[in-house]
Amino acid sequence: MGVHENTFDSTLGAYLLLLPTLVAIVAFLYYPSLQTLRFSFFQTFLFGQNTRFVGLANFTELLSSQVYLTSVGLTIAFAAIVVVGSLAVGLAVAFLLYEVSDGKAAYLIAAIWPYALPTAVAGTVLLFLAHPSVGIYTHYIEAWFGVEVDWFTVGWQGFAVVAIAAIWKQIGYNVIFMLAALNNVPESLNEACELDGIETWRRLVRVYIPLMSPTLVFLVVINTIYAFFGSFALIDLMTQGGPTNATNLMIYQLYRDAFQFNNLGLASAQSVILFVLVAGLTFVQLRVSDRYAHY
Amino acid sequence: MSLDTEDTAVGTREDEPLSIISDTRLVPAQWRVHLGLIGSILLMASPLLLAFVMSTQTVPEVYDITNVGIGSDGLANYVEVFTTYGMASYMFNSLVMSIVVTVAKIAVSLLAAVALVFYDFRFKNAIFFLILFTLMFPVPVRIVPLYEMMAALGWTNTLLALTGPYVASATAVFLLRQHFMSIPDSLVESAKVDGVGPLRFLWDVLIPMSRGMISGLSVITFIYAWNQYLWPLIVISDQNKQVVQVGMKYLQSVGNAGQTDWGLIMAGAVLTLLPPLLALIVFRGPLLETFGLSE
Repeated sequence: MGVHENTFDSTLGAYLLLLPTLVAIVAFLYYPSLQTLRFSFFQTFLFGQNTRFVGLANFTELLSSQVYLTSVGLTIAFAAIVVVGSLAVGLAVAFLLYEVSDGKAAYLIAAIWPYALPTAVAGTVLLFLAHPSVGIYTHYIEAWFGVEVDWFTVGWQGFAVVAIAAIWKQIGYNVIFMLAALNNVPESLNEACELDGIETWRRLVRVYIPLMSPTLVFLVVINTIYAFFGSFALIDLMTQGGPTNATNLMIYQLYRDAFQFNNLGLASAQSVILFVLVAGLTFVQLRVSDRYAHY
Repeated sequence: MSLDTEDTAVGTREDEPLSIISDTRLVPAQWRVHLGLIGSILLMASPLLLAFVMSTQTVPEVYDITNVGIGSDGLANYVEVFTTYGMASYMFNSLVMSIVVTVAKIAVSLLAAVALVFYDFRFKNAIFFLILFTLMFPVPVRIVPLYEMMAALGWTNTLLALTGPYVASATAVFLLRQHFMSIPDSLVESAKVDGVGPLRFLWDVLIPMSRGMISGLSVITFIYAWNQYLWPLIVISDQNKQVVQVGMKYLQSVGNAGQTDWGLIMAGAVLTLLPPLLALIVFRGPLLETFGLSE
């Protein structure tokens, strides 16, 4: 298959070169992943000191727990909002960057910098600026719109603030990939649109988005994974799962069960459920896109 | 902002009548594009600008919510987080972790990519697939056994625990493999004729030829490692060995007489953002190129 694959002729040499990678993926990725599956069939008690095989009891416990099922629903809603939100904002910014003719390089770096934004910084900064009592954003939102902002006690508000932080952090990444896809649109097509007098926004919806669809599918998958796994720091720093479990995403519930309550079996079962859910979603997204995307 | 953009907006136009029609439509469009970009960039940057301003304020100034002037504390908060609140050691620990992860990941992935491109051996495709499939196992999926493993090895609170699990990389192997496959045959042939070994070939030919790709991957990896939160939170319990992201959590509890010292926390947030942001700005060329986007 490869173009240069006969440059060196030594199977042993090839395996030696691969050895560090193979050792690392087996030791730190495959082995613990399989162990997770094994742990999920055991119950831990006495603060993790002792274990007992319980079959699927951890899973039945989780799937019949109202708290856990709520957490699953919340996480899916959170992922949907973050994916749609960060893709929509990313698309708008990428399209503006594509259209602008002067100062492109300066605009580009000013728009993609959130790629470097640490989640913990995003969480800490918004925790302060949107703080119910000392936050400047809260102050002006209350003054201008006459709404009561108290996301430390109102569930949906806490959820919204965390979602906004998650979207903010993800914009840079999306803009980079979307702009790369837009740059691949053949110039002749732009000229054709120009000749036909197609309006800007219509051009975006009818021409660019279909042409970008492979990139958009990739970004939907990546952003879904990010929403499921990458928001832990936001929850831990901003809401600790509250108010009244309104931001108790699956990843946070898992962390609490594992490292605060030492319920390792139950936490491992949650890891398995997370894996199955994300793998399943990825599979569905790729299947659906196979049918509709223009490659 | 400029309005005289007719000549660059639509590329080349030969016939007069068309360009007149286009111009009337495109001039206001360019104007709106600039406005849209400046608006969205300000929106994305405003939390950080405010965080920076407030990091210069004293506690009473911060609690005067609508005060958005540069405070009278100057850089005192920055000095204080460094000298009194352990920021220096958090940042040092993060720097060491990020550099070790970056160097190790690139080195190990370079070796693996050489094997996958320049050798022909049994199970090559299977091994490549095995490496790529690790993308399905982010830390939360294997967190409990991984932690247990670190505890059993006595690695908790060490650099080994912070860096080991990040060494293997599907993305780096994938990108380097693709890059190596695109190297012209003639170069590879001459190396073959000269009879150089694989490591010499890597060092003398491949690395100099892949500088852009390697710097791009290094920036991506550095930012990724610097921004890790969940794993260090779990595996490091000794505050002196903690990384800066989790240091943000420790800073949250700083305050006098029940008033949180938000100016101090914002100083910490700005400092935490600075290294990845600088890396992004300085290396934006190779970074964007690695993502398929050239300026």
